[in-house]
Amino acid sequence: MPVYTVSHVQNVRVCVVMVGLPARGKSLLAQKIVRYLSWLSIKAKCFNVGTYRRQTASQPDASFFDVENPEGLAVRVEAVNKAVADMMSWYGDEAGVVGILDATNSTRVRRAWILKLLRENRIEPLFLESWCDDSELIMNNILDVKTTSPDYAGKAPDFAVSDFLARIANYEKVYETLDMETDKDLTFIKLINVNAQIIINKIETYLESRIVYYVMNLHIKPRAIWLSRHGESMYNVSGQIGGNADLSPQGWAYAKKLPQIVADSVGPGELTVWTSTLNRTQQTASNLPFKKLQWKALDELDAGACDGLTYQQIAEDFPEDFKARDDDKYEYRYPGGESYRDVVIRLEPIIMELEKNENILIVTHQAVLRCIYAYFMNIPQEQSPWMDIPLHTLIKLEPRAFGTMVEKIKANIPAVSTYKEKGTFELGVDDAKVNDVKNIITRA
Amino acid sequence: MTTPVFNSSDDDLSSGSEIEDLLCGTNGGERYGKRLSGLLAAPVGLDEDTAPRPLSNFGRTRDRWSFGDSSRPVMGDASQRMRHERRLSDATSDAVHRAIDADHISPAQLYSTDSGRLFHAGTMVIILVGLPARGKTHLTVSLTRYLRWLGVKTHAFHVGDYRRAKDGIPKDYFKPTPDTPEGKEYRANIISKCISDVMHFFDDDKGQVAIYDAVNALPEERADVDRQFTSRNIKTLFIESLVTDCNIIENNISQAVKSSPDYVGWDAKEAAADYVSRIHIAEPFYQEIDPSEGLSFIKSINFGERFVLNNSHYGYLINRIVFFLMNSRIKSGSVYFARCHKNFLKFKSDPDLDDEGRQYAQQLTKTVLAHVGATKGLDFITRSQNNTPPPYSGEAGRQKSHATDGIHDDAFVIWTSTRRRTIEACEAFRELGITTRERIQLTQLNPGDVENMTAKEIKAKYPEDYKQHKRDPYHHRYARAESYHDLAVKIEPLILEMERMSGDLLIIADESVLRVFYGYLMACSCYEIPYLKFPTSELIEIKFNAYSNTATRIPIHGVEE
Repeated sequence: MPVYTVSHVQNVRVCVVMVGLPARGKSLLAQKIVRYLSWLSIKAKCFNVGTYRRQTASQPDASFFDVENPEGLAVRVEAVNKAVADMMSWYGDEAGVVGILDATNSTRVRRAWILKLLRENRIEPLFLESWCDDSELIMNNILDVKTTSPDYAGKAPDFAVSDFLARIANYEKVYETLDMETDKDLTFIKLINVNAQIIINKIETYLESRIVYYVMNLHIKPRAIWLSRHGESMYNVSGQIGGNADLSPQGWAYAKKLPQIVADSVGPGELTVWTSTLNRTQQTASNLPFKKLQWKALDELDAGACDGLTYQQIAEDFPEDFKARDDDKYEYRYPGGESYRDVVIRLEPIIMELEKNENILIVTHQAVLRCIYAYFMNIPQEQSPWMDIPLHTLIKLEPRAFGTMVEKIKANIPAVSTYKEKGTFELGVDDAKVNDVKNIITRA
Repeated sequence: MTTPVFNSSDDDLSSGSEIEDLLCGTNGGERYGKRLSGLLAAPVGLDEDTAPRPLSNFGRTRDRWSFGDSSRPVMGDASQRMRHERRLSDATSDAVHRAIDADHISPAQLYSTDSGRLFHAGTMVIILVGLPARGKTHLTVSLTRYLRWLGVKTHAFHVGDYRRAKDGIPKDYFKPTPDTPEGKEYRANIISKCISDVMHFFDDDKGQVAIYDAVNALPEERADVDRQFTSRNIKTLFIESLVTDCNIIENNISQAVKSSPDYVGWDAKEAAADYVSRIHIAEPFYQEIDPSEGLSFIKSINFGERFVLNNSHYGYLINRIVFFLMNSRIKSGSVYFARCHKNFLKFKSDPDLDDEGRQYAQQLTKTVLAHVGATKGLDFITRSQNNTPPPYSGEAGRQKSHATDGIHDDAFVIWTSTRRRTIEACEAFRELGITTRERIQLTQLNPGDVENMTAKEIKAKYPEDYKQHKRDPYHHRYARAESYHDLAVKIEPLILEMERMSGDLLIIADESVLRVFYGYLMACSCYEIPYLKFPTSELIEIKFNAYSNTATRIPIHGVEE
C-alpha cells in the first residue's frame, strides 16, 4: 500500500521559528502546526523554550524576564540553548522533518544566531511572527494563558494577569518586529492581528507553502466544536455497516432530545450545523434550529464491496480482508472502498474550514469522527481507528493554548454498541478487557 | 528556450476575427458560454453531444461520487467509445478556456455539494489589477487551470479578447479615462460587454469563480466593479500584480511582442515600441490598491516573491488560491513526458531493465539531449548543474533553498518513479551529472484484482464492477485497485512542485501517471484522461504560455511503439 504524504520530504527539512511577544498565540500556532503535519504523516515536533526554562525556574515573576536581570537572562539563554540542541539532535537521530522553535525570538541578534545555525545544518528557516495590537485579542490570550499555563498554576487570577502584563512589558523593551525592508531576504510569514493582514515573504519550498497555507486558515478567537455521531440507525441495530439506513426509534429519540442538549452546552450563542449527505445524520440534525450545511466529505468511510454486510458476514465472505483490516486498520482499504488514510485526505478541506470558522456542530459517522477527533487531540494513526465513540453522546472540544479541552455530554438514551474489538466480529464494548486505546474518548 | 512566457491582459493569443464574428455578429442572443467555447476553446476529441457525463449530483451510491445510479451516464458500446479516445495528436491543444457544463466533475474534485459549488464557498469574482506587462493573463489562466482541476467551476474573462473583437480602437482607449468621446464610448462598451458575460456565467451556468482580467488602474474603477458584484451577492477579491524588478518587465515585453495577436506580422522593434507606449499611456494614471479602499485584496510582488493579504477572510477557497500562487511561477522551461519501458509489467514485479530496455534508454537519452541541446544550447547540462548552494555567507542575504530543484531557468531535472525500469532509464543522464529524483507518488496505478485480465475475463468475473467501470473509468476502482482520481489526489503535491520549477523537467513514468499529469497541464476532463495514449516511441513536450499550453510530439528514433 503506497504511503501518501503531502510532500516529498526526502531532502527537505524545515524549522519554523516563532517570533512575537507573549500572549500573541504563538504556542497555539506551534501546537497546531505539529498536530496538522502529524495528522498528515509528516514528522513534526515543537520545542517550547518555556518548558526548558521551567526546569530551572518553575514560576518566576515578571522581573525574571527583565533584560537587566542577569540571573534571569542566564537561565533563559540556557533554556534556549537546551531547546535548540535537543531540536538539532531530533533532526538527526529521529529523522525529524519540521521542528518548531516556540519562543519569543524577539531580537534580530537572536534570530540571526538561529538562522546561521540552521543554514549550517541545511535546515530551511521559516520565521512565523504573530503581531498584534488589538487589546481585546491580547486580553483574551492572557486570560487563556492565565488559566492554562503552568507558570501560573495555583496563583491568584488577579496576580497572574498583572504579572503577565509586566512580563510582556519587559519583552517589549527589546522586541524588534520583522521588517519589510530589513528582513526582506528572510523566508517569513507575518500575521497582523491574527489574519486581518498577512505578509508572506520568499517562500521557497512546497512544504513551507503548505505550512503557510495552514497557518492562514487559523484564528485564535475562543470557540468550541461539538461533535456527535448520528442517532442509532436501523443498520446499527442489525449490525450492518455502511448503507443509507434511517434512524431507529431510539435514534429518533436522540434526534428529539439533541436540541435541548445542544442548547444547554452552547448557551445563547449561534451555531452552524454540518452533516453528511446520508439520511441518518440529516435526520439526527433535523430538529436543530440552526443553519445546516451538507458535506459529501463527511460521509462515512466507504466499505466498498462490504457495504451493507455485518462483520460476521465479512469475516466469512472476505476472511483475508477481515484479517488485513485488523492488522493495519489505518491503511487497509475495503475492496472498491476507502481506508482511514483516504478519509483523512478527503477531510482535509473540512479541517481547514473548521479552523476558519467559529462555533460548529458536526453530526457525522464513526470513522469520520475518529479522524476529526484524532486531529484535534493529536491521536497517532495506530490508535485512532480503534477508539470507541459511543452513540448518543455529544462531545465538546475547546482548542486552547496548551491543548484541547474535551467534555462529553451523555443523552442517556440507550443505544447498541457498534464497537468491534480486534480479532472478533462480535460487537460491543467488553469492559472487563483493559484497552487504553478504545477508551481514549470515553475516559477523556 | 524561446517559449513565450507570458503577456499582459490586453495581449492574448486568441484570434480576433472569430471574436468579432461572435460578439458583433448575429449570434448576439446566445449565452457567453457557447460563444466563448466557440472562440477560445480549442476543439478536443470528445464529441460534445455524445460525451458521457453525469446528469445529476444527488443520491447515494456505493462510490464516493454522488450521482445516483439511475442517472449515471451510459458510456455506449465499445465502437462508439473508440471515437472518444483522445489520441495525443488530437489533444495537443489546451482546453483551459473551454466552457464546462454545469454538472462537470473535475479530475481532482474531492466531493460535491448540493449547490454544485465546491467548499460551500458561494460565488466569487476575482478582479485582476495591474499595468500591462505585469503577468495578469498568466495569473488568470494558471489560476483557472488549477481551480478547475480542483473542481471549482471557473472561467476566465479577458477584456483584451473583447477589445480585439472591435475594429478601429482609438489610441486613448488604453487610458483609464479616455479624452475623446469616441474613446470613452469604446471603453465603456467593451467593459460592460465583458462584465455582462461574467454575470451570465453566474446566473445561467452555475459558475462559482469568474476571473476578470483587465488593468483596473483607478480606485474609482475598482469601486465600481466591486459595487456591481457585491450588490448581487457575489464576493469580490482583487489580485494586484506589482513588479519592481525591471528585468521581469523587460522580459514580459519581449514575450508579448513575440506572442501577442496584436502584433502578428509586426516588426519586432515597432511592436515593442507600440507596447511600451501603451504601458506609458496607462502608467501615469495607475494607482496601487490602498487598504483605505476597503477591498479584499492580495498583492503579489515580483511574481510570488512577496504577498500581502488584506481583509481576505472568505475562507478556504481564497486561502487555496494563495496557496497556489505561492507555488506558481512563470516558467521558461518545458515539461517532457517519456513513458517507461514495459508498461505492461505486473504491479508488484520490479525487474531491472533488459537489453531492449537499455537500448530504449539510450535512444531516449540521445533524443532528449539533442532536442534540449538544440533549444537551450549544447552546454545546458553544465548550466543546469549550477544549483548547488554556496556556503553560508553571513547573516544577511537569502540563500536559495538547498533542497529546491529546478529554480533556475537553466535547470534540468528528471523525475522517475521508484521502479527500477524508470530509475535505470536515466542512468546515462545521471552519469552526465543531471539531477534525478525518485518520487514515490509516480508509482503507476495499482490495477488491483483485475491485473492482467482481459476485458472479457473482467466482465465474466466482476460483471457489476465492469459495468460501473465502463460508465466512469476515471473514478471507479476495482477491488484492491486505485482509480485515476486516487492518482490525481496523490500527485497534487508534485503538480505544485512542478509549478514552482522554472527550468526543464523530464518525467519518466508509467502511462497511467503521465495521463494524469497531462490532464492537468492540458485541462482535459476526467472522461478523456483514461484514454490518453503515450507510445514509448515518442517524447512529449509541454510548453508553457500565458494564454494556453501546447504539446508537441518528438519521435524517439529506433524505438517501436
